[in-house]
Amino acid sequence: MARKGSRKTGESHIDIVPIGHVDALAVSVVAANLQTLMGLNADTLPLHPEPEYAYLAVRSQYAAGKIIKELESIDEGSRFKLGIVQCDLCTPILKFVFGESQLGGKAAVISLHRLQDKDPARTYLRAAKIGLHETGHLLGIGHCQTHDCLMAFVSTIEKLDGQPARFCTACQYEISRTLKYIFG
Amino acid sequence: MKFSTRILIVDDEEMICESLQAWFVRDGYQVETALSGEAALKIVENSPADIYLVDIKMPHMDGIEFLTRLKECQPNAIVVMMTAHGTVQTAVEAMKRGAMDYFCKPFDPDELSLFMERILANKALREENNTLKELLSESNQQGLSEVFIVHSEPMRAIFSKIEEVAPSSAPILITGETGVGKDMVAKAIHFRSERSCGPFLAVNCGSLSESILESELFGHEKGAFTGAVKARRGRLEMAHNGTLFLDEVGEISQKMQVSLLRAIEEKSFLRLGGSQPISSDFRLISATHRDLPSLIKEKQFRDDFYYRINVITIDVPPLRERLDDIPVLADHFLKRYAEETGKSLGGFTHKAIDLLSSYHWPGNIRELRNVVERAVVIARGRMIGAEELTFVNPRHDAGLIGSATLRELEINQIKAALESCNWNIVRSSKRLGIDRSTLMRKMKRYRLDRC
Ligand SMILES: Nc1ncnc2c1ncn2[C@@H]1O[C@H](COP(=O)(O)OP(=O)(O)OP(=O)(O)O)[C@@H](O)[C@H]1O
Ligand SMILES: [Mg+2]
Ligand SMILES: [Zn+2]
Ligand SMILES: [Zn+2]
Repeated sequence: MARKGSRKTGESHIDIVPIGHVDALAVSVVAANLQTLMGLNADTLPLHPEPEYAYLAVRSQYAAGKIIKELESIDEGSRFKLGIVQCDLCTPILKFVFGESQLGGKAAVISLHRLQDKDPARTYLRAAKIGLHETGHLLGIGHCQTHDCLMAFVSTIEKLDGQPARFCTACQYEISRTLKYIFG
Repeated sequence: MKFSTRILIVDDEEMICESLQAWFVRDGYQVETALSGEAALKIVENSPADIYLVDIKMPHMDGIEFLTRLKECQPNAIVVMMTAHGTVQTAVEAMKRGAMDYFCKPFDPDELSLFMERILANKALREENNTLKELLSESNQQGLSEVFIVHSEPMRAIFSKIEEVAPSSAPILITGETGVGKDMVAKAIHFRSERSCGPFLAVNCGSLSESILESELFGHEKGAFTGAVKARRGRLEMAHNGTLFLDEVGEISQKMQVSLLRAIEEKSFLRLGGSQPISSDFRLISATHRDLPSLIKEKQFRDDFYYRINVITIDVPPLRERLDDIPVLADHFLKRYAEETGKSLGGFTHKAIDLLSSYHWPGNIRELRNVVERAVVIARGRMIGAEELTFVNPRHDAGLIGSATLRELEINQIKAALESCNWNIVRSSKRLGIDRSTLMRKMKRYRLDRC
């Protein structure tokens, strides 16, 4: 309650939702990056239970779409929700995804499962990149053709590591324009 | 190219359709879906797509049957089959019937993106082979690709000539007014020649001072002149196994013409301050907007050099002599700038097209491009209207002279010259018949600046 009350109007914000057991540090790093790179203030909501409803026995993975639906149904807080899970995500057409998002929608989810590295700092950086990318989609931004932009589609962990943690000027412009439009 | 590519997804499973659609939309494609072969054929009737992703196993009409029916009405359609069960047999059958490839659901993300890149490359290839409409020419430095619109009869003729002469190594002279596309023609020749893997090196002879041009072309040894602290290779040397493009060749001094002539004839030359002959094998393409034969008559250009560079001539006609190209080019630039600025614009009103077609285009395509770019920036509605088109050099014979002051006329004249010379001061001043410093003074006085 205090959190909601403390929000000034005109302040861009998003809620981060840890789902199931996730590394709390990863959550903070994602939040910090949303703040610095996109100007989005991130609040972390209380932990949600493991997403058993999204489990697909045939694939031994979790359906990203189902988790997004669940996030969408949370009424309180910001209009944007970014879920973070530890389990492996997939979609009906892709063998796996690092994250999934509704283009111009309310909710997105990212998974730490395939981002794990011996060096936790690297894991967190990867998570931040995916979080920024999926949040970009929430703002209605599609994939970017500029290779060194966070909105470029990356399909492998190597490509993700090669990607600098920044948006190109065109995407950056779109982000601030959209945030200004939404939050005034 | 991607953004104008339409994809139709045909799968009886709604979730697959939605999921694929979401992926392609995020990636910038226009996507439609159909839950059956029958529904897909209805869509094809009205508006065929460029790429089809088709599930093999569907009730009623299956993927193979859809493929067969589709190929009857759209033989060049790019069709990719999808299968959930890895039935290689049917996939092979599909390929026999003209599918380009197949893949198994679910896709590996990396496979999917590589796959789309391949399809797009293939699509570009087919378009190039199938129609004369566009020729992709690549810019050497940035690796950018620009579309070369070939539409009107005269441009088609030029295009066939390009294809005809590209393979040989004979020197080519491209003539035509400023902004008609001489650079593009030169690149098109290079990229269709056997030297396309070699470098394409352009030198703008009009924008460099004599001494800089000389060392730019021939290179220099260390200490050849004050400031030559390091040895440097020249363009002639760097163009080895590729193409050397001498732009604005009409501006070269006679002295330089002699040196170049020797280098071309002997296929070897010396760097400035050097004594070791350097040999280089390049194809020479030159371009000019000037009338070289009359410069020769005035003894301003050497005839022996002229004959050497002008083995084959390609004359690119001005835009006003190929009116058919105007709507096509205008549309092309509209799309490009609308995409760049993120505006959704449908096209031009009839009035606007009429206005574009009746203008005399002294700056040719470059000017048309600038006019459209400006119109896109200021456009408020969905269509660009006549009132959004502003010309730098409206015809004065339309009664304007009486009302314009001398000062206005001068401003217009200078603006037009600058515009048509792409704001190159040296060339603009030549065109206006005044010297460089006078032009710069006038620009300052009238506050003329590239906007
Ligand atoms: N056929 C064409 N299709 C698409 N764009 C074109 C075409 N011809 C010219 N252009 C565009 O018009 C502009 C001018 O073309 P280009 O530089 O080739 O002209 P040019 O004749 O070399 O001009 P100049 O005499 O000033 O050197 C470029 O931006 C080019 O992309
Ligand atoms: Mg040119
Ligand atoms: Zn994405
Ligand atoms: Zn970008």
